[in-house]
Parts: sequence; structure tokens; C-alpha cells
Amino acid sequence: MIKDTLQNIGGIGLYGIISICLFFAVFTGMLVWVFLLKKSYVKKMGALPLEDGSQTDGPQPIDSQTHSPNNSQTDSAHE
Amino acid sequence: MTVETFKYDNRIVRAFAIATVVWGIVGMSAGLLVACQLFWPDLNLNLSFTTFGRLRPLHTNAVIFAFVGNGMFMGIYYSLQRLCKARMFSDGLSWFNFWGWNAIIVAAALTLPLGLTTSKEYAELEWPIDIAIAVVWVVFNINMFGTIARRRERHMYVAIWFYIATGVTVAVLHIFNSLAVPASLWKSYSIYAGVQDALVQWWYGHNAVAFFLTTPYLGLMYYYLPKAADRPVFSYRLSIIHFWALIFVYIWAGPHHLLYTALPDWAQSLGMVFSVMLVAPSWGGMLNGLLTLRGAWDKVRQDPMLKFMVVAVTAYGMATLEGPVLAIKSVNALSHYTDWTIAHVHTGALGWNGFLTFSVLYWLIPRLYRTSLWSVKLANYHFWIAVMGMLFYVVPIYVSGVTQGLMWKQFTPDGFLQYPNFLETVLQILPMYRLRAIGGGLYIVGAVLMAYNLWKTAQSGQFLPDEEAKAAALTGPAHEENKYRWHRWLEAKPLTFTVLTIVAIAIGGLVEIVPLYLIKSNVPTISSVKPRTPLEVLGRDIYIREGCVGCHSQMIRPFRSETERYGEYSKAGEYVYDHPFLWGSKRTGPDLARVGGKYPDAWHYTHMDKPTDISPGSIMPRYSWLLTQKIDLTALPSRLGALRKIGVPYPAGYEDGPAQKDLQAQAAKIVENLKIGMVKAEPDREIIALIAYLQRLGIDIKGATPQQASAP
Repeated sequence: MIKDTLQNIGGIGLYGIISICLFFAVFTGMLVWVFLLKKSYVKKMGALPLEDGSQTDGPQPIDSQTHSPNNSQTDSAHE
Repeated sequence: MTVETFKYDNRIVRAFAIATVVWGIVGMSAGLLVACQLFWPDLNLNLSFTTFGRLRPLHTNAVIFAFVGNGMFMGIYYSLQRLCKARMFSDGLSWFNFWGWNAIIVAAALTLPLGLTTSKEYAELEWPIDIAIAVVWVVFNINMFGTIARRRERHMYVAIWFYIATGVTVAVLHIFNSLAVPASLWKSYSIYAGVQDALVQWWYGHNAVAFFLTTPYLGLMYYYLPKAADRPVFSYRLSIIHFWALIFVYIWAGPHHLLYTALPDWAQSLGMVFSVMLVAPSWGGMLNGLLTLRGAWDKVRQDPMLKFMVVAVTAYGMATLEGPVLAIKSVNALSHYTDWTIAHVHTGALGWNGFLTFSVLYWLIPRLYRTSLWSVKLANYHFWIAVMGMLFYVVPIYVSGVTQGLMWKQFTPDGFLQYPNFLETVLQILPMYRLRAIGGGLYIVGAVLMAYNLWKTAQSGQFLPDEEAKAAALTGPAHEENKYRWHRWLEAKPLTFTVLTIVAIAIGGLVEIVPLYLIKSNVPTISSVKPRTPLEVLGRDIYIREGCVGCHSQMIRPFRSETERYGEYSKAGEYVYDHPFLWGSKRTGPDLARVGGKYPDAWHYTHMDKPTDISPGSIMPRYSWLLTQKIDLTALPSRLGALRKIGVPYPAGYEDGPAQKDLQAQAAKIVENLKIGMVKAEPDREIIALIAYLQRLGIDIKGATPQQASAP
């Protein structure tokens, strides 16, 4: 059935070949690109969320003890 | 270097956060209601508005677009500003995004119970709302790209890549899948028919999961997980591979929703292969997330936010392993149309989306209010209740899915179906439905505890509407940039990046969809398949309105267990006039593809009025309003006209007179048939149109020559 379907579409053979080539090229290109990245650049990029220039990067203005009397643990979500 | 002082907009983040919590509880509660209706059908109160078929899409739309949608905007509006070191491009657009999106949700909550639906899964909303969605989505994109353009950080962190992919892909998917010809303000017909409609719908449906429920949330994971763990992501390189591999592969996988259907085999195989390949990028992302916590697992013990995050990322891994397994044809043969799919979806929805949203909320609210979480203990309770809720939900439903799937396929030693009565397989799984409702209930209790905790947190702090920040202005290319020319070229230029993203998603979409269009003339047509009569068209619209497709498929797969139970397997040529297709994806009730002629008209009449009178124990709700409501004959001309516009060959002028005559004649015939069955009915009631439609299902092919009937 696949053969019949393909034969009935003009240029479909080329279509498949183009897509597999594109697929292969994109993935190879991406992997080469990624592994050629400089370590310093990768380090800098990875650290971006931690340096967003906002006040919350520093200590919290209010102390980090939670307000609930039930709470025995510190809220470690605070940085 | 000039250091600029500016302010982040926290108001918009808070607004989306509130909407997330409110819609989350509403959407989950709608889910609990429909879950209970499955073992207690009377819970619809015999009202059309509260019946399963209409409320099920309300539940899915509410949790996907209202809960996750607002959660996504909340997370993006907070993180995008900080990653770009810039306030959102326009406060006006931010608020347009907020009010527009939430107005759409309200419109959905009103129209779906009214039965105004296209019936295409996760795209049920009618065309005026579809246009509004497109407008709001474009505004979101303008606001996002405007912010990126004004950024003070030269590089775009990987989270922003995921946001961009979300922004552009959802726009493409939504627009192409929603193309329809309106017949009136609240009624339209998909421009695609049958097989084509199915492929476009599941190209959309699958990628709605990919680009609405997954990519934005992966962006959130890549931002909030390092923030909470206070350490960079495990491997930034892996995150890049994760991104490109995911968006390139995901878009191809849609046809796995249509395995063993009348979709051409090559498209099914393509979908299966790419689905299996998806394991690699998905697990790469999951491991990247979990390994970010290396050396920080002590924090996970103490911080509920991280606990939720770990379960979310783990659930992502589980769901993305299970998805490819379900996409293998031999597994899908058992799982499809059963509760197994529902369990799979909920592993992702409750585990990945739900837990990640809870995690971000627990992290964000104390920061927006400059305080600490009111009660860590309560958050821990929420965590354990939600975990129990999730397990109580998915485990019984897995059992239910596998049990029913096996029962459908069970033969006696003599070669007959072991359970020829479909209802028998339903009654077997009802205890699982009850357990599932308990799980869903627990999950909602947890969400309510969270709402209370966040409310108390807000009360204990002081909201910071505009958060001051400082950053150096972005000037010409820095010296260090020259060293990394190629990747700077890629990720420092949002436009180039966006174009590449579109190319990546377009290739998969085009390779699948274009050939199916090119071969349109080659979809084996069957000469005996004719357009529906006017009465049947209106009957089909009632079938769509009531959401029957939510429980009944119209697609018999080529298995002996199905042909024995339902009749000849379905052919592509039988659906050429189906705008939209109604193949369905779940069989809570039996398949209806060949129900035409199977029972007398009176059987259908009595069954629709009170299903348990015909099938004791049936969980189908009553549809007694169909017996009293009159058929809307005024709608007929515009509907036939709209169908002709999209290719259904009604003769010109047919709707102006002959159609009404044909309709009356067919209705009168059905009334006669009902009389034989001792049922007295008026010819102008909706039940007559519905019976006409049901009796037509699957019978055209019976008039075909043997050669045509055996066409694939």
C-alpha cells in the first residue's frame, strides 16, 4: 500500500529522501555545535537564571522563619 | 557601561497566579463530577447542560487552557522579565493577555455546557472564540518578543527558547486545526473531512500536549529548578540538545493517535517511529532536571517546592516513557479506546503539570509578598495528599484499561467472543471508577489546602507590585562574543532563532499532512457512499452537540475481535463527507460505526429516553430532552450551504425547498417505524433526527460492490 501511495504522488520519492537528509543534517549539525561550545560560555549560560538582577537574588528583606506556629522547619526555598 | 534601574511587573504575575489557583480547583472539580457520573449517571440531574458529553470537554479545557494556561503565563511573565533583565514590553498588552485569556475561559465555560462545540478534542470551542484565542495569542507573542527585543542580557537562556517554541507553534497549530466554514454564529464545519480531518486534528491534538503542556513547562523547569536548588542546571549542553531534538521530533508523532484506523499505513508508521524516538530527548530533559539536584537532595527533604518539582520531573519521565510505548502498534492495539489512555494523560496532567504548577506557586507567592511560606507543614500535607491522590487516580484506571482491553479481545475456545455484550466489560471496571474518583477527590483537597496556605502567606506579607532591579544596558557586541560567533548568531538573534524553530516544526507537519492532501483523489472512494440527508445532517449536529463522541468511537479497527463485535472494519472512503470526523478516542460505550440498521427505531427511542430500560446497569445518561425538544429547521439551509462550500455535493438550491421536503418525508417514515414499535412520537422532535443519523451509520458500504468494499 505504501508503494502504491508513493507511486501516485509526483516526486514523493524525493520528498522522503529530502526529509531524511534534513533530519540527519539537523541532528548532526546540532550535536557538533553543542559539543564545540566553549566551557566558559556554557557555564555562563547555565548561571543566567541565578543572576537575574532582581532583589530576590539577595537575602530576603523579611527573616526566613515561617509564620506558622506549626512550622518546625525553615523555609529553605529562600535563597 | 551604563547601569540602568528598572522595575519588574509583579502585578501581572500575581493576577495569573490567582487565576491559576481558582481555575485549577474549578477544572479539577469538573473532572471529579464527570468521573462520578461514570458510576452514577443520575448525577447529571437529567439536565442537558450537566451531562457527561458536554462537561467532559469543559473539564479538559479548564485544566489545560485555564489551569495550565494561566500557570504557564504566570511562570513565563515572572521568569521572562528576569531572564531578559527587562520589564514586560507593554503593561497594556500584559493585561490584554490576562483579561482576554480569562474571558475566553469564561466563554468556554458558558458555551460548552450549552452544547456549542466543534467536537474536535481540545479544540472544541466554536469559531468566534477561536478567533479570540488567535488574537490573544498573537498579543502574548508580541509582548514576549517585544520584551526579548528590549532585553539587557545578550544571551537568551534555554527557558526562553522553550517559550518561543510555545508561542509560535501553538499559533500555527491552532490556526490550521481551527479552519472551518461557519454556518451560523455558533456553528461551523471543519474544512477538512474524514481521514484528513483526523490527521490534522491529531497533529494539533498531540502537539497541543507537546507545545502547550510540555515545552512551556520545560522552560519553567529550566528556570525555577535551578533557582530553587540554587545551582545551575546539570548540563546546559544537554538542555540545548533537549530543546532542538524535542521540537523537531515531537511534531511528527501525531498519527500515533490513529493507529490501526483508516489513516494510510505509512502515516501511522511514521508517527510510531518518531514517537519511539521521543524517549531520547524527553529522558535527556528529565535526567537533566533531576541531576541538577545532585548534592542538593538535602534541600528536597526540607523544601516542599523542590519535593513537588522532583515528582513533576519524575512524572514527566514516566509519561514520556509510557507515551512511546503506547505508540507501538501492538501495544496500542490493546490500549487504544480504553482507560489506559486516560491514565497516561493523568500521569502527565496530575504529575507533571499539576505538581510543577504547585511547585512554582509555592516558590513565587512568598517572593511576590516579600515573606515566607505561611506553613511548610501544610505544604507537606498537600504534597503527600496529592501523591496519594495521583496514585489512587492512575493505578485503578490502569487496571481498568488493561482489564477492559483484554476483555474486548477475549475469545472462547470455540472462537466466539467471550464477552459479546459490551456492557459486561463496563460493569467489570466500575469499582475502578469509584476508586479513581477518590483519588481525584484527594488531589482536589490538596489543591484547596494549597490555596489556603498561599492566601495566608499573602496575608502575612506585603505585596511588591514593582520590583526594582539593576542591569547594564545592552550595547554593541562584547569582546567575548566574538569567540562564540556561531551560537551567538543563533541564540542572540531572536528572529533567526524563531525562524529556525518554525522550520523545525514545519518540516514534520508538512511531511505528514501534504502527502495526504496530494493523494486526496487517491483516498479510495466508495461510490455507494453518499452525502447524508438533511434530517441526518441535523441528527449528526445533535450527536456533536451532546458530545456523544466522548464515549463512542466510529472507527472499527481491522481486528477479528472488532469485526466480530461491530462488523466490517472501517474504510477511509466511508468518511469523505464527515466534517468534522467523529472517530473518537475512547469507548466508554460501544463503537457506533455500523450501528445503522442494527436495532429498530423504537429501540433507539426508548434507549435514548432511559438507557437502563433497555440495558440494565448501563452507565449511559438519559437524553430525555431529545424527546421533547424540537428540531431547529431554520438552521438547515445555512448548514447545507456551509457543507456544500467545503465539498459535500448537494445540488445548487437544494436547501431552498427540496431539502425541507426530503426531511419531512424521512421524519414521517421514522414516526411510522416507531408506531410499529408501539412508540408514539412527533416528527419534529430532535430524537427523530438523531435516530435518522444513527440508522445511517455504516450502511452505505453495504450497497457497495465487493471490490469497493474491500478497498483499504
